[in-house]
Amino acid sequence: MYYVAKVNSEMCSTYKCNMCTLYCPEANTLMYDKESKHGNEHGTSWVDEDRCKGCAICVYVCSDLLDRNCIEMAMVTTE
Amino acid sequence: MSLKYMIPASKFKRYLPKDYVELVDYGPFGKDYSEVGVKNMGTFKELVEEHPMCSGCWMAYYIKIIFAALPNPENTVTIGTAGCGRLAISQAAVPFVYGNYGDQNAMASGMTRAFRLRFPDIQKDVITIAGDGGMMDIGFSMTMHAWFRREKFTTIMLDNETYGNTGGQESGMSMEGAVLKMSPKGKNFGKLPAMQLAITAGCVYVVKMSPTNINKSAKAIRRAIFAARKLGPTFIHVYTSCNIEYSIPTPDVFKDAKEMEKGRFAFEEFMTPEAKELFAIVESKKKREVS
Repeated sequence: MYYVAKVNSEMCSTYKCNMCTLYCPEANTLMYDKESKHGNEHGTSWVDEDRCKGCAICVYVCSDLLDRNCIEMAMVTTE
Repeated sequence: MSLKYMIPASKFKRYLPKDYVELVDYGPFGKDYSEVGVKNMGTFKELVEEHPMCSGCWMAYYIKIIFAALPNPENTVTIGTAGCGRLAISQAAVPFVYGNYGDQNAMASGMTRAFRLRFPDIQKDVITIAGDGGMMDIGFSMTMHAWFRREKFTTIMLDNETYGNTGGQESGMSMEGAVLKMSPKGKNFGKLPAMQLAITAGCVYVVKMSPTNINKSAKAIRRAIFAARKLGPTFIHVYTSCNIEYSIPTPDVFKDAKEMEKGRFAFEEFMTPEAKELFAIVESKKKREVS
């Protein structure tokens, strides 16, 4: 069991923003898909869960700095 | 030599490791900086691969910026030494040379000279990336003498103010009063004045910063590399916190870097008049400078 970041893509695609991807310390982990999603004109960030180390810096950027609250930490369990 | 040597035959592609194929298809090699670069991180395959550095490590973050900001990754060689940083630097798709502890700048001197003789028509960038221990404590004499000799390569010091890799002993760059292993009553003297030493020793471009603004960080790295190609040694002193030894909760690592920027790691930039002229030329060109 460990924490990983989960992006709410529906909320994320309403903003033209890839700030979280610019501040993730892990390479190739928090990615940005430029194609428009969920009927919104912008793309969305997405997380490669196998690579995420759960530091929650993206949550700080999205919630504390930008007040957008599109990312939350979620527990991953092996099923 | 061309980039074609790394592109596999189409029938052979399916047998190659996935990471390699992704790097060929989506990596930054041979692409214009406006397509890849730090602004577009997250939309292309980055050069750094998975590495064992700690969760929320700001040093790992800065290393990621270094590789995304390289003006010419296909002709770059990085040199490191013992310390946390090499765990990630050695996982990048850029040739990495591992020096004995502290001799990275002496090795870089030889390599820079050898590249200029062996590849007179190709600009090869040499960058040494090491921690505060490797650069300012154990490698101090070799770092200083490479600068005194005006060797043309870039030196980047990842300053986490402790020996993070060996369990948090005090280093020459720890601040005065810091309670660390080997300094249970607090360190007795302050940080070494690395920036002033670099300027005195003859570096043509010196920056001290905390990486909170990605464009500013990338600009400093690129400037240091461009100036090292033509003019002489360049030095970047960057704050990359150790969230384990200084007990910074991982979500607050970025906040800590911002606080440092207001304090002892306030942005300072030094450049010689020649370097200033060079940057005016290089930065006015829209296309990627490779020569």
